[in-house]
Amino acid sequence: MKVQVQLFGAFRDYAPAALVELELTEGACVADLRAAMNAYGTAHWPAFRPGLLQRSAFASETAVLREDDPLPTGGTLVILPPVAGG
Amino acid sequence: MSDSIWKLVDRSEAAIDPALALTFVSDPAFGGLCLFVGKVRESNLGKPVLGISYDVFAPLALNGFGQLVQQASAEFGPRIRVYLAHAHGRLAVGDVAVVVAVGTPHRDAAFKACRQIIEAVKHQSPIWKQEHYLDGDSEWSEGCSLCDTHTHDDAPH
Repeated sequence: MKVQVQLFGAFRDYAPAALVELELTEGACVADLRAAMNAYGTAHWPAFRPGLLQRSAFASETAVLREDDPLPTGGTLVILPPVAGG
Repeated sequence: MSDSIWKLVDRSEAAIDPALALTFVSDPAFGGLCLFVGKVRESNLGKPVLGISYDVFAPLALNGFGQLVQQASAEFGPRIRVYLAHAHGRLAVGDVAVVVAVGTPHRDAAFKACRQIIEAVKHQSPIWKQEHYLDGDSEWSEGCSLCDTHTHDDAPH
């Protein structure tokens, strides 16, 4: 299945469109998405820092997802690098 | 919850006004009002700063703001009023980035609720800041990881 991930913060520097599309197997979980994002970043973004991805979370519009959560079907998926509000 | 407000403010459309926040949380029954105002500093780690751009994932941020206000109301209410506003977009030095105002009958609850909310906003909300320096560089600030494998802050802010 194809999954679109919206990018925020430092990830915007990697892709000006702030959106990537990844191919994942049916029933994939957040840990699978993280692995796919790592492979995509390594292949497409020369300045990609795997450490930033390791410290980033994934979320839907309503919740931060845990590693073993199944990917929600439909709706927006986003990557959240370490936050710095205020 | 009808006595509280939380919102994001696009700087290109409006500025956050701390006076409005104080007015909102004022009530004849409230003897304690606490106001926190976060503003853009002129330097960071010794580098002169021109401004900050705030990036926000709005749906999750607003959902989280609502939960923070709800938690504070449950803990320090029921007589409590909260105003929480965070800026979005490009801000200049001196601009207001965030305001938290709390009104309660006595000062202790107002102080505690205000502190609890601003700390949570800084450490948990899906908000990122990119500092723009006088020398032309821009950098995303190091922040707090929301991963379940990184449960605490490891950045100085």
